[in-house]
Amino acid sequence: MRNIHALIIFTICCSLGFTAVGCKKFKVGKKNVESIDGLDGVVIDDLDAFPLDDRIDIDGVSEGESSFDTVYFGYDSAQIQPSERSKIESVAEHLNQNRSGGIAVEGHSDERGSREYNLALGERRALAVRAYLIGLGVDGSRIQTKSMGEEDPVSFGHDEESWGANRRSEFVILY
Amino acid sequence: MKRSLYLFSLIGVLVGSHGSAHAQVKVVKAVADKVSIDLSGVKTSAGSGEVFRKTLASDLVRSGWFSKAKKGKGTVTLLGTAENRGGALRAEVRVYGSRSQELFLSQVYKGEGTKARLLAHKAADDIVKAIKGVKGIASTHIIMVGTRTQKKELYVCDADGHHLIQLTKDRSVSVKPRWGPKGQKVTYTSYLKGYPDIYLVDIPSGSRTRLSSEPGLNSGAAISPNGKEVALVLSKDGNPELYIKHLASKRLTRITRTKRAAEASPSWSPEGQKMVYVSDQSGKPQLYVVSRNRGRPQRLTSRGVENVAPDWGKKGWIAYACRVGGRYQICIINPNTREIKQITQGNVDFEDPSWAPDGRHIVCSRTEHYRSSVYILDTLGDSPIRLFSHVGDWFSPAWSPN
Repeated sequence: MRNIHALIIFTICCSLGFTAVGCKKFKVGKKNVESIDGLDGVVIDDLDAFPLDDRIDIDGVSEGESSFDTVYFGYDSAQIQPSERSKIESVAEHLNQNRSGGIAVEGHSDERGSREYNLALGERRALAVRAYLIGLGVDGSRIQTKSMGEEDPVSFGHDEESWGANRRSEFVILY
Repeated sequence: MKRSLYLFSLIGVLVGSHGSAHAQVKVVKAVADKVSIDLSGVKTSAGSGEVFRKTLASDLVRSGWFSKAKKGKGTVTLLGTAENRGGALRAEVRVYGSRSQELFLSQVYKGEGTKARLLAHKAADDIVKAIKGVKGIASTHIIMVGTRTQKKELYVCDADGHHLIQLTKDRSVSVKPRWGPKGQKVTYTSYLKGYPDIYLVDIPSGSRTRLSSEPGLNSGAAISPNGKEVALVLSKDGNPELYIKHLASKRLTRITRTKRAAEASPSWSPEGQKMVYVSDQSGKPQLYVVSRNRGRPQRLTSRGVENVAPDWGKKGWIAYACRVGGRYQICIINPNTREIKQITQGNVDFEDPSWAPDGRHIVCSRTEHYRSSVYILDTLGDSPIRLFSHVGDWFSPAWSPN
């Protein structure tokens, strides 16, 4: 399954002319970080390449508050910003070292705008993180996405500081 | 002065950026012609009889088609009695043309005294139908999300804001309820089982089933006018996209293919051949129309502003929330002519519009200083009315089809 994903990224990357950046030396696993960096935006934009696997039932499953750093996003954007990549890379490292269990990526938005649109935006943020993890060699079946839209803020102010804190993806370990 | 500046900027955004002659924004001001009705001739007894009379009078004004006349001055005259005997209410209502003496309606309403409001709603709708020939809204319901218990639960009330009932006690998050075409079923998104799933509630029986629980996002469910299908947004294929689910066979048909965009909030055209929905494929959320047979989606709303939460009304106009001047306002657009009318104004946010079955009124949320309440708007110009003033935030209302 991972190889298929890698092949898809490889194909996308070649077809879009990213040959100069790591296409030939593309490898599955955490060593391909440089290659992913070179594919800025491509993996994220083609979320279709990674259909979701069956759900990991989280109803009654113990959820561990993970110590992984929260990934932040720009306004109305699901792009992984360069400053956020190392956070996802450390999650990939953890998942690749611990072969059991999975992770839920929660996508959130700020309070502004349509609640339903914000659900879709939050999902795209979670899916973008998932795509990045898959690119780093994590098996997609271990990564669930869950959008909370604007329904579960961590900061309750009504200014840019709070909005920025709420536009985020969080990681929840599923045992 | 402030208002005129504001209007100028609005027209600049909506017309100027569209770059075509289609979009013309009209701000609704004219109040519809009203029939003056003399209600002074209704004889009531205390208790449920008086509740009936007061509710009927209020309903007729809220219908938008009537104004209360002084005794002997109305164009039409309402005569009758409303009396309670032994817990039962019997109301007799006759409506005449004041000059012509033409009898428009003569009807008896009987029931338990506790049902006085319900009977009055029925009488009001009968009078609207008899005088104006249109469907009334007094007997309809409004469903919404409320935070009275600190959690986001579904509530339903009468169209006049009375008789508020808490429908769910999930202690979870409920999102954006919508009525089915017959007004008996409601779909909404809930995190009851941890993930955002779509649930279907049968209001008369109170039974609830999970309609969609695909991996990822399940949201935006809207039952088709024929009741056989549901439009919904799923991310199971790796990105939020619009789908149609056939309810009997459970078969899914994918409608959109936008790898770089999110879709949300579908609403069916009255005949069920098309859907309007939100997509951010242009970079900002805008409205698009697509045929149910998967034709090429057509962009409906202009570039440069955000347009969300569409609701396609029975008369063909689509109500939606448009972001102008940093605020959300309720607008309606004719999808054929692309004529736009802005219904709300002011330094507050109006969102999540839903058409009343009369095709005239709209229910929506109004947020000021971060507190939300539900308001009823009139597209013919009557002032907005607050639905009720219960404690808590109230939003995402939907008006029942009957």
